[in-house]
Amino acid sequence: MINKPGWIKRIFSGVEDYHRTMTSPERYRRFRRTLTLVMIATFLIPLILTTMLSYYTYRSQMLNNLRWNAESATKTIEAFLSELQTVLAYTVNEHTYKELIDQDNLNKVYHRLKSHYPGVVDLGIIDHKGIQRAYAGPYELLGKDYSDRECFTGATASKIFIGIVEMGYRKVPHFAIAISFFNQDAGQNWVFRSSIDATTLDKYIDKIGAGPTSDIFLVSRKVKPLLQSTSQQYGPPLSPYPFELPHNSLGVTISEERGVWDYVVLKAVSYIEGTPWALVLLKHGYLYGKDWSFFKARLFFIVMISTVLALLVILQITKLFVGRIREADEKRESMMAEIEHTSKLASIGRLAAGIAHEINNPLAIISAKTGLIMDLLEFSEDFKYKKKIGSEINGTSNAVERCKVITHRLLGFARRMDVSLESIDINSLMREVLSFLDQEALYRGIHVDLDLGDSLPIIESDRGQLQQIFLNLVNNAIDAIGKDGKVIIKTRQRDQSSLQIDVMDNGKGISQDIISHIFEPFFTTKDSGEKKGTGLGLFITYGIIKKLGGHISVRSTVGVGTTFTVILPIKTNLSRRVHDVESKSTGS
Amino acid sequence: MMSKVKVLVVDDEIEFATTLAERLNIRGFETTACFCTEDALALIHAKNIPDVVLLDLKMPRMDGMETLEEIKKYNPTIEVIMLTGHGGGIPLVGADRKKFSPFDCIMKPADIHELTLKINQAMAKRQASLNKGEGT
Repeated sequence: MINKPGWIKRIFSGVEDYHRTMTSPERYRRFRRTLTLVMIATFLIPLILTTMLSYYTYRSQMLNNLRWNAESATKTIEAFLSELQTVLAYTVNEHTYKELIDQDNLNKVYHRLKSHYPGVVDLGIIDHKGIQRAYAGPYELLGKDYSDRECFTGATASKIFIGIVEMGYRKVPHFAIAISFFNQDAGQNWVFRSSIDATTLDKYIDKIGAGPTSDIFLVSRKVKPLLQSTSQQYGPPLSPYPFELPHNSLGVTISEERGVWDYVVLKAVSYIEGTPWALVLLKHGYLYGKDWSFFKARLFFIVMISTVLALLVILQITKLFVGRIREADEKRESMMAEIEHTSKLASIGRLAAGIAHEINNPLAIISAKTGLIMDLLEFSEDFKYKKKIGSEINGTSNAVERCKVITHRLLGFARRMDVSLESIDINSLMREVLSFLDQEALYRGIHVDLDLGDSLPIIESDRGQLQQIFLNLVNNAIDAIGKDGKVIIKTRQRDQSSLQIDVMDNGKGISQDIISHIFEPFFTTKDSGEKKGTGLGLFITYGIIKKLGGHISVRSTVGVGTTFTVILPIKTNLSRRVHDVESKSTGS
Repeated sequence: MMSKVKVLVVDDEIEFATTLAERLNIRGFETTACFCTEDALALIHAKNIPDVVLLDLKMPRMDGMETLEEIKKYNPTIEVIMLTGHGGGIPLVGADRKKFSPFDCIMKPADIHELTLKINQAMAKRQASLNKGEGT
């Protein structure tokens, strides 16, 4: 046999254990619990997996979309800056350093640029010492020292420099683009600096148009970032942005952010190459025109409804299923118990008859010997101990007589009966039986009620045997009451093929531990008083009823009373039964 | 004076057979005891015809019913009372057996008064048969 894993054993223990022990409510509760859990798991695991799969597929589509949007926006801004740098460099390359430090020339260049790029705030030429030598724009910034400013140092170090958005000398948000050139005449570097209005960035970002549920803006790459363009959520440029930027500067980084709207939004961050900026795209889970939270709520609702429905169905099914199994088990167990009981009684019967037979022969010898002694005593003359011997022998004879009664009754149980079938009116038979016991009942103050069914069918059975059965049962009922009580004898048709006779008493009742033994031989509760029982009455009654094709059962409540129920067939194939018994008893 | 009723007790329980024979003798019967069916049949065939045979039902080699059959075939007027130690009664199996039925069947241990009564009744029946001219 294949060894089942432990968990399978545990699951099916409810079923397998049935064969080992009696059915117990705990076992069925455990079986039902396990079955319910298994069914719930069987249902819920695929449901949860499918739900998770849908959720993550949906989410991954959304994230890809967000990534694509962020990349596209980054590229747009990079293209804008690249174009601006190219235009500035080209413009400068048309002139020499000398020409450009001429204020008129620079003003011309400024106006030409301004006409194409209104975002250009001003232009400045900074010499190798960091002093602004020429300036074209709305502010008084000629001669300003830029030697320690990032735009000068940054451009000197790396040719092109783009600064963060700041107020600076101009007191309006702007950012600088500075390009370093080499003056061959003087053999020195100089820097061309242009300030760009920060609103230019807003205009470009607006053109990207990430959608109504999105917020797209630039922030400075600092530990405490500042906004570089206007954010719907966090305000105008130079407002603080309350989150740190990711360390990864390559590609798009996607994360979740709980912002001022107090709900979680998706955030894509991308660093813009060659600038001190990072692009931030916030998205409220918007995909294909359907709201993300609505999608989640709908998914959750479907899962919940399915789960509740499944739980209800599973609970009902398991209840029904376990109930049916339990019913079947109990029926089978009760049948098994009855078969076992019947077979046990039959075995006991055969055993008892065998023992009685073996005892009978030596008993016959003892009886004959004591009889002979008595005979001899009777015919002998008087001697000293004649009386004493006679009395002892008499005692022995009485003991033998008692043994004889027992062995004969035991043999009667297993005896092949010459059943004589006749038509019997069960009601009149009950009246006959009662006529034997009337005096006894009267003497003890016991009232016997006959509750006889109307127009009962005439049955075919053995009158003598039936009399013996009911005499015994009514006699037992009277004994159970003792004094002053009531016996009810009830007859009725049970179904098309059988009659039911109940013998009820309101006596002391029989306890549960005794009731399972009452049809066994030598089992008696009449162990004291004048009516000492042999313990064979119900044993023999049981045997006769079985031989007549009937059935006897007993119900009792201690202190309330006992009911013996006899079921008799209306017609029974007794000839076959007698033949069966005969063939078994032949040769014994 | 009437002659004594001849009784043959056949039982393999020697103690039982001899004691019963003695008790019956005390009560005025002329009783012989045999401890096997072969001896009993030999006795009958030797013209020692008993009036009543008390025959144990269960005996080795040849059981009581077969012996009954033999006795009845030899002399149908001999009455046989079966003694049985078990509750099975007389196993009436087969048509022939019904032809040779015993006078009565008494369960062991039998009461001596019941037994003497049955013997006397059996004797009366045998007498009636003899008067009718049955038997040899």
